[in-house]
Amino acid sequence: MTSEVKDIDIVQYDDDIVKKFAIATLIWGFVGMLVGIIVAIQLANWRFNFGLPWITFGRLRPLHTNAAIFAFAGNAIFAGIYHSSQRLLKTRLFSDALSNIHFWGWQLIIVSAALTLPFGFTVGKEYAELELPIKIAIAVIWVVFGVNFFGTIAKRREQHLYVAIWFYIATVITVAVLHIVNSVNIPVSILKSYPVYAGLQDGLVQWWYGHNAVAFFLTTPFLGLMYYYIPKAANRPVYSYRLSIVHFWSLVFIYIWAGPHHLLNTALPNWAQTLGMIFSLMLWAPSWGGMINGLLTLRGCWDKVRTDPILKFLAAAVTFYGMSTFEGPLLSIKSVNSLAHYTDWIIAHVHGGTLGWNGFMISGMLYYLVPRLWNTKLYSVKMANFHFWTGTLGIAIYMLSMWTAGITQGLMWRAVDASGHLVYPDFVETVMRIVPLYYVRAVGGTLYLVGYVVMMFNLFKTMANAPATQRSETVRAKPLTASFGEVAAEGGHRSIEGLPAIFTTLVVIAVLVASIISIVPTLMSPAYSDGMPAIRPYSALEIAGRDIYVREGCYLCHSQQIRTLPFDVLRYGPASTPEESMYDHPFQWGSKRIGPDLARVGKKYPDVWHYRHMMDPRTVTPNSIMPTYGWLEKSALDFDIIPKKLGVMKIVGVPYSDYQIQNGAVDAHHEAEQLAARLVEQGAPKGLEDKEIIALIAYLQALGQMSNKPAATTN
Amino acid sequence: MENKEKLLDHDYDGIKELDNPLPGWWLATFYGAIVFAAIYFFYYHIGNGPGPKEELAKGLAEFETMSAVGGSGKGIDVDKLNAFFHDSGRIKDGGAVFQLRCASCHGVNAEGNIGPNLTDKFWIHGDGSLAAIAKVVTEGVGDKGMPPWGAILKPDELYSVVAYVKTLKGSNPANGKAPQGNEVKD
Repeated sequence: MTSEVKDIDIVQYDDDIVKKFAIATLIWGFVGMLVGIIVAIQLANWRFNFGLPWITFGRLRPLHTNAAIFAFAGNAIFAGIYHSSQRLLKTRLFSDALSNIHFWGWQLIIVSAALTLPFGFTVGKEYAELELPIKIAIAVIWVVFGVNFFGTIAKRREQHLYVAIWFYIATVITVAVLHIVNSVNIPVSILKSYPVYAGLQDGLVQWWYGHNAVAFFLTTPFLGLMYYYIPKAANRPVYSYRLSIVHFWSLVFIYIWAGPHHLLNTALPNWAQTLGMIFSLMLWAPSWGGMINGLLTLRGCWDKVRTDPILKFLAAAVTFYGMSTFEGPLLSIKSVNSLAHYTDWIIAHVHGGTLGWNGFMISGMLYYLVPRLWNTKLYSVKMANFHFWTGTLGIAIYMLSMWTAGITQGLMWRAVDASGHLVYPDFVETVMRIVPLYYVRAVGGTLYLVGYVVMMFNLFKTMANAPATQRSETVRAKPLTASFGEVAAEGGHRSIEGLPAIFTTLVVIAVLVASIISIVPTLMSPAYSDGMPAIRPYSALEIAGRDIYVREGCYLCHSQQIRTLPFDVLRYGPASTPEESMYDHPFQWGSKRIGPDLARVGKKYPDVWHYRHMMDPRTVTPNSIMPTYGWLEKSALDFDIIPKKLGVMKIVGVPYSDYQIQNGAVDAHHEAEQLAARLVEQGAPKGLEDKEIIALIAYLQALGQMSNKPAATTN
Repeated sequence: MENKEKLLDHDYDGIKELDNPLPGWWLATFYGAIVFAAIYFFYYHIGNGPGPKEELAKGLAEFETMSAVGGSGKGIDVDKLNAFFHDSGRIKDGGAVFQLRCASCHGVNAEGNIGPNLTDKFWIHGDGSLAAIAKVVTEGVGDKGMPPWGAILKPDELYSVVAYVKTLKGSNPANGKAPQGNEVKD
């Protein structure tokens, strides 16, 4: 595609691949948000789970988050990175073949996610739910993307890398590291695997991953997009090159440390919690550096922001980014977190970021891209403005309702009266209070989707109006001539901008140093050697039940972590200890309490209570919003796979004997028969001994009962 | 103001960059956060700042004190139980607590469901006296799935519901669950 005229190359960009990713973004965004509205309605009214396993909340919620993050935001950043990088580097993408493998591979991954998550194939770790074969596919496709991206840098015709490219480099490198380290699983079968990490170590790795997925999938690529599309659309110079340098490096280095702020006041060692908190506070300024540079670039053209929908979306997106990155450090303060954690305040925070920052950046970018790529004009500016205002109103309703719900419920959980008793000892009472707000939230989300659908219509119309013959943009550019010595001689930051290998190496060092210091000590330390109370591993039947708990996504509504907070201990019993989850592959500490904590639910209720509760929660807990799980008493438990499961658990460090492994199925049958007999005695129907419900009840009754030593109240 | 700003000779696809300094207030927040982080770390991890265990113990001790002042204390006040048992208003309150907390397992009329029938002469734990019922309600029976209500019910609620349960003997509701435990003669 490149022909030489003396020493000037005529470069034709590959805009077809950008078009493909843009269309995929539009479609998957709709799917992801639609599922979001469905789960929002399910929380408002449990009947909308319809008693069907594959559309019950616990299975759909991962589909919503994965679709919104990896399908919607993912395709958008690929579109934006491929579009802007070619122009910033003055070259066509490295390889058309790799571009297409990247595109189709990514779509295939999304489709396999949609075909596995609703059927309960999940690892059980948030935003990392996809099972091992899909995880491997993600790693492979990401490497394809990386080769294509760095290959493009290698054949560039612009000596220096612009700040957008810096952010893309950080994205490509860090997402690969995060994904691979958090995906080290041993398979039991093709679609079932256990992480090698357990308990608090798994928790630390997961939230190092989870938090930095937000950082390097939803923040750094979007900052890169901001640095390209805002100055382009506004036709203004970037406010401060020096600010770009300082906030880029501080952001990349500091972000990595902040993961443990998802585990404040838990059994995680206190020093790791403190690092998570103080690095989150230090992250405030680097984040705002990006906002300032974005907003101040718009100085002198705010009149244009009022009329141009592209700028309107981009400016609002950056404002939402500023809000979220102020709120994030605030929520990371241990005392604030003790109120907000596990509540809908976090949901409000997340959606300010995703709907406001990511969603509006993507919208602004698409309004910029589609008319230019298809060589035509936007079908309707009016519709774009309508989209902007419904979207903004939707976000406002969403966030206000969830802030209110979160703070209300957080205050109710901690309310203690003058006699030292909980004012709201019934968890369900605190849920009933906020259910009306769940309806309000669904309205906010729906408004946002309405705006989005108007954009889809507007942009597809724009594409339909495009001239029949389409040609990618061409540009004339000189090949690079400067030698290494010449670039190095420029000195300071300017020289590393001209030397991508060195720049990338420095990013790798920043990310790895921070990662190693913040997670490796906990991974290496004999975390459980503190007296080593006798914790027994799960029995054969309990392991089977635990997998059902994971499959149904129970962890999405129930935590298993009683924090070191007096009101948590008053409500749920002694604070959780690290030992208690030492055999938990994966950990199930959870991040949200839509229902109560379950760390010590074992033996709290009779077996038959659990049976009735799973069949219809409202028979034992009036006003519960939990779905029904009727299929668990019908579907047969797979006993034959239990020895295989125990075998893999042994590989990852759970001390099962060979005898226990070989007899796993027999032992499980034996346990199941005893439990089923007890259930019949208590009034449950006969014939449950080979059903899934039996295993789940066995698991639930074991929670908090694994330690032979009673936990000290003040632990 | 714009004119005084220095434009760098950078040009990326038409994007230019200004050479503005870092805003002072922004730098101040950055340095401020770093200083705070250092002080916080030193106070809690090198100095004498209380750890989570100490803070939890302190918080729980406060609840204990409040609980003692609030009147329930540790032991069960049998005189107060007797007084409640003879107070029809308290019995009525106890009935309401029963419907809210107990009926899901013991049945709306205490006829027994998941939990045992509370209207017959048979008792699994204790002798059916006010003190024995109060003990089971306060401490629960872990193995059988009876939750401890001592930390959940306020003292008056607990005493009322115990008094209410005691009044149920011989009420003989429909569909009564078969007797469990030992018969207690009057």
